[in-house]
Amino acid sequence: MTIPAIPRRIDVIRTFKEQGGYVAAVLPIHYPRSLLRAFNILPVEVWGPPGIKARDGAKHLQPYVCSIVHNALSFLQSGGLDITDILIVPHTCDSLQGLGSILLDFVSPKQPVIPIYLPRGKRESDVDFFANELRSIYRQLEAITGHSPTDADLLQSIYREEAADKLLSELHRCRRNLPFSNLAFYRLLRNREHLPAETFMELAQKALAQKVDTTQDGGIPILLSGIVPEPMSLLGAISQMGGVVAADDLACCGRRLYPPGQSDDPFRRIAERILYAPPDPTRGNSIKERLEHLLQLVETSGAKGVIFYEVKFCEPELFDLPQLRQGLQEAGLPSLTIEMDLNDPLSHQALTRLEAFLEMIQ
Amino acid sequence: MSIGPALRYHWNVNLLGRAGLRWVRWQAERRVKRGAHGKSHILTPPLKISARTKELIGRHYLKGRYANLRGKVAWVTSGAPIEFLKALDFYLLYPENHGAVCGTTRTAVDICAQAENAGYSRDICSYARTDLGTMLSCQTPVGKLPKPDLLLTCTNICQTVLHWYRVLAHHFDVPLILIDTPFVYTETTDHSVAYVKRQLEEAIPIAEEVAGQSLDERKLKEVTRLSKLASELWLELLGRCRHRPAPISVFDQFIQMAPIVEMRGDNFTVDFYAAMLKEVDERIAQVIGAVKNERKRLLWDNLPVWYRLRYLAEFLGRHGVVIAASTYTNAWAELTPKMDPERPLESMARTYMYPILNRGTGDKLATMRQMIDDYRLDGVILHSDRSCKPYSVGQMDQRDRLIRDFGVPALLLEADHNDSRSFSKEQVANRLDAFIEMLEV
Ligand code: SF4
Ligand code: SF4
Repeated sequence: MTIPAIPRRIDVIRTFKEQGGYVAAVLPIHYPRSLLRAFNILPVEVWGPPGIKARDGAKHLQPYVCSIVHNALSFLQSGGLDITDILIVPHTCDSLQGLGSILLDFVSPKQPVIPIYLPRGKRESDVDFFANELRSIYRQLEAITGHSPTDADLLQSIYREEAADKLLSELHRCRRNLPFSNLAFYRLLRNREHLPAETFMELAQKALAQKVDTTQDGGIPILLSGIVPEPMSLLGAISQMGGVVAADDLACCGRRLYPPGQSDDPFRRIAERILYAPPDPTRGNSIKERLEHLLQLVETSGAKGVIFYEVKFCEPELFDLPQLRQGLQEAGLPSLTIEMDLNDPLSHQALTRLEAFLEMIQ
Repeated sequence: MSIGPALRYHWNVNLLGRAGLRWVRWQAERRVKRGAHGKSHILTPPLKISARTKELIGRHYLKGRYANLRGKVAWVTSGAPIEFLKALDFYLLYPENHGAVCGTTRTAVDICAQAENAGYSRDICSYARTDLGTMLSCQTPVGKLPKPDLLLTCTNICQTVLHWYRVLAHHFDVPLILIDTPFVYTETTDHSVAYVKRQLEEAIPIAEEVAGQSLDERKLKEVTRLSKLASELWLELLGRCRHRPAPISVFDQFIQMAPIVEMRGDNFTVDFYAAMLKEVDERIAQVIGAVKNERKRLLWDNLPVWYRLRYLAEFLGRHGVVIAASTYTNAWAELTPKMDPERPLESMARTYMYPILNRGTGDKLATMRQMIDDYRLDGVILHSDRSCKPYSVGQMDQRDRLIRDFGVPALLLEADHNDSRSFSKEQVANRLDAFIEMLEV
């Protein structure tokens, strides 16, 4: 059985625009999808993209800034985002803060730039602040699009995204009962980065319809942590070496399994969803919370080891590694760290270490 | 505090330590009087008050060494709103300042290696690596650091401090207070200010619980008043560098800024800066410049290169170049005067949202532009600090704009504030030579 047919990203964008919608290019990691969709704006995420010539970005950014930020700026400057109408830059880290700021002050792209400040906690004050921040984004989107969605419109949009996220969680939960390879499975999941929720749900339902009762793969189960599994050949390599990604703590995937909100106020509800999502260092969750979450993922997935697959220069990730790895070790779980740059293929050294790690935990 | 530890503290800090530090200061003052710093034909000898600076810093770390015997200790970030902790009698340790001490004493790389051996990447901020190295190995040039009972991190300088203090919180297993200050891309919003104020209000009971006492409103006002006074004096001091020749250079400022960062809210800090201002005014009256033959004046952007202060001062001084101002030392001057001791929390919320590192890259360029005019500067050196992304990202555009839009020569100098492995002496010398040539000195 195969993965359901996936529409091409560019076709999705064109179709959405032909139907009168707007398209927003969105940088990592967390942002209010439902708020954008209520304005008939389709968010299309930009995780780099990998493997492009990062020359243009190098005119503005020092070499010690991560490749996701370098590539995003290069892609924008080379016209790769010309089709989009708005740029959304969440305040994820110091590097994205810098990018958002130079876009506003110096680069001045043709699209309006909207930065979003994400609070670094989940206290009541954080939720209140974030709800207010979202209200301010609402006003900016209102000015750009001329639309003023009502609370009912917003709630409808939120419920749709919640339904899509529920299916996404279901896909994660029963991944080992689906007949897909690591690579095919993550290709499917990552469609959430650009498909409208309704289209993604169709796709997810088709995939879930292929679910069987028995585990489909007999590989060595591992837990994959990090920002983004790029180049995606990593996933193929894990399969080839006999591994299977049984769970993930990836910023682009597992850390965005947003729970449903509680509040009836649409802005608070969006805030709750984002702030109560699985632990993420960029949202300030403690190392203890992260460790507990990883151990829980290991327990439910049966993972035998953890691979931290990190983007070079990514401070939010790098700070946590020693204590997380120590905590895992104390729980009897081996781990491996691999650093990558979006523009480089997987190195032989990385492949060899990966292979040795899988052999060791087998 | 029980009697035994109290006596030990008193004996070591107030009797033995104080006497020892006085002796060291007396010797240093004699050295300055005798001109024992050598007869440099490039640079004027350090300010006489430098001996007192050393004493202040020495005393601060001496108190720190025994602080766990005396009361509660908080580790705090350099831009954090510390006034309420000070009013609650915490001993405050600034790991960034300790990092700078390790940088100037050239012990930072060895200490960083301790962190790196434990798995901390060389790609994280070298202040953080220095501190984590000390945390893991207890290695420090100041004898010993006290253990924290509380941590306070404020994101108004970077997100790095959030990640760093999460690691400390995990290691020491103590409460971590976060004051999250939304980044000001263009202008701040009312809901952001309200958010910061609310976090300050919520932080107080946590700190009170650790301190075992309630916050005295009058004490908070007094600490805020002293903080403000010291910052105003620091602002005046920096302003004196508008004079030609500049009486002190940024290299002096870098050394003399320790008290304004880590001893804000103390009486003696106010006295210290008042005395320094007097000495600087004497220099101005006698037309004494930090560089003996001042011909060109520059602005420094970003953190100092702590382990190369003297080298850079002499290199530039040889060509008659003085660095008269810096966005970095200015950061502790431009804000606190905005504080209102009568409304400490409200004013703190606004004030602490506005350090240069929490404002957009365009705003920083505007600050630089203003300083170039105010201080009549001829060019800018932008230290591209591998460790400090929030300060450094944007510098390439700032340099280009300075040159293109304002006709101000500007140089991007690659280094790292604490990790000398990222400093290439040859490359720096070549770039500085070429820049100086361009300045037509
Ligand atoms: S990879 Fe890390 S440093 Fe780069 S944008 Fe993402 S969070 Fe920021
Ligand atoms: S040097 Fe920069 S990154 Fe490091 S703690 Fe200071 S502001 Fe943050």
